[in-house]
Amino acid sequence: MATFELYRRSTIGMCLTETLDEMVQSGTLSPELAIQVLVQFDKSMTEALESQVKTKVSIKGHLHTYRFCDNVWTFILQDAMFKIDDRQENVSRVKIVACDSKLLTQ
Amino acid sequence: MATTTTTSGVYIHVIEDVVSKVREEFVNNGGPGESVLSELQGVIFFFFFVSEKIWETKMMQAGVLSGPIERSSAQRPTPGGPLTHDLNVPYEGTEEYETPTAEMLFPPTPMQTPLPTPLPGTADNSSMYNIPTGSSDYPTPGTENGSHVDVKARPSPYMQPPSPWTNPRLDVNVAYVDGRDEAERGNPNQHFTQDLFVPSTGKRKRDDSSAQYQNGGSIPQQDGASDALPMATLEGDTLCITFVGDKRVPRDFICSSSKIPQVDGPMPDPYDEMLSTPNIYSYQRPSEDFNEGRTPAPNEIQTSTPVTAQNDVIEDDEELLNEDDDDDELDDLESGEDMNTQHLVLAQFDKVTRTKSRWKCNLKDGIMHINDKDILFNKVLCFPFPQLSLELFWLTIILTLAV
Repeated sequence: MATFELYRRSTIGMCLTETLDEMVQSGTLSPELAIQVLVQFDKSMTEALESQVKTKVSIKGHLHTYRFCDNVWTFILQDAMFKIDDRQENVSRVKIVACDSKLLTQ
Repeated sequence: MATTTTTSGVYIHVIEDVVSKVREEFVNNGGPGESVLSELQGVIFFFFFVSEKIWETKMMQAGVLSGPIERSSAQRPTPGGPLTHDLNVPYEGTEEYETPTAEMLFPPTPMQTPLPTPLPGTADNSSMYNIPTGSSDYPTPGTENGSHVDVKARPSPYMQPPSPWTNPRLDVNVAYVDGRDEAERGNPNQHFTQDLFVPSTGKRKRDDSSAQYQNGGSIPQQDGASDALPMATLEGDTLCITFVGDKRVPRDFICSSSKIPQVDGPMPDPYDEMLSTPNIYSYQRPSEDFNEGRTPAPNEIQTSTPVTAQNDVIEDDEELLNEDDDDDELDDLESGEDMNTQHLVLAQFDKVTRTKSRWKCNLKDGIMHINDKDILFNKVLCFPFPQLSLELFWLTIILTLAV
């Protein structure tokens, strides 16, 4: 089953990747097992986001760059405003990476 | 476990889910064992909660949180002594969990700067790093003695790479050079140009500049390739790998500091070229649905930048190599910011549509990292609008009215 590896770039994904890298470097863990853990992380993360999260967000901003390559959209927004439930966040520059959700269901 | 909707709750759930599902692999089939699994879980929690704790502290200071987030005792296992750190202090790498340094990742080569090459005719046969370049046309004194010394005295424009896998003691060129010398004596007009240790980077122009070499004494050589030595530093909870001299510059630019005169085409300023070739495309169709797998074809792209006309003459020389097709400024910005905690949204998209200059993106199931916070979402509506198109839009209005 295909998984999206993009969640590995999140904070928790980076923590896991660093931990696994250290363990593989020290020989505690085999690389194959580390990859299995990462794949399981991809699945668990996707499932958790589908089932456990109900937040709706709205983003508005100036589109600095857009790119569509290999079914992945990459946007760079400037002066973006995030409306998250009842609060608001402003950032000067944000990168949005989005994979095609239909690929998972195929 | 009760389902929680907070970010940390979801993360904890994910960690436990992963650990429980890989437990079988760890324990059975000769895996590392339960202890390693517990250590893995503990370290992930440690890494994660250090950043969480810093976040909590900041939020408390900002008055958003009244106190630390309550977590159950099961969420902080302490698998061993080395992990019992006080989370109230910023993370400082210990010996056990220190992030790999550049020396570990990229062991230094024995020869960062090559030995000074000897005078032609004075070097012995056991010297290292024979680089057979150039031909017999060069005014190299001492050629008559038939030694292969001239070869070493002629530096390659591509300096010796400081990579660990190159063995400087292995003189692979001896046999070749000897053969070449015989050919040289017999056929002085024959040209041999071969760089056996050419490090390849993407932005180098390959030019046979050895014709311009002037011989004279010990030639100082600077290893420009070592400029890009990566350095790993830990900033907060992020491993940052930066390159010393991180702006990618064409090779000739680095080598220009050496004393070897080279005749080359006019040296364009690499940064001006990057700025003059922006990566902006404007579509002529009124409305597009980008859900099909469609990437813009080159013949449909219209770059509306008049600045490129100025660099046409310079660009002709490089057109063959297509060196500056990529927008390096943008790439550098993106890669540079990725190393620091950039605001980032990772998600899946349901639909991306565009109507003239108005984009609409329906995203789902994503993680946002903005303002040092992690926010998870189920649905996002994104309305980016390009700045440039707005100007074009107004321009169109003015032109239409004028007509």
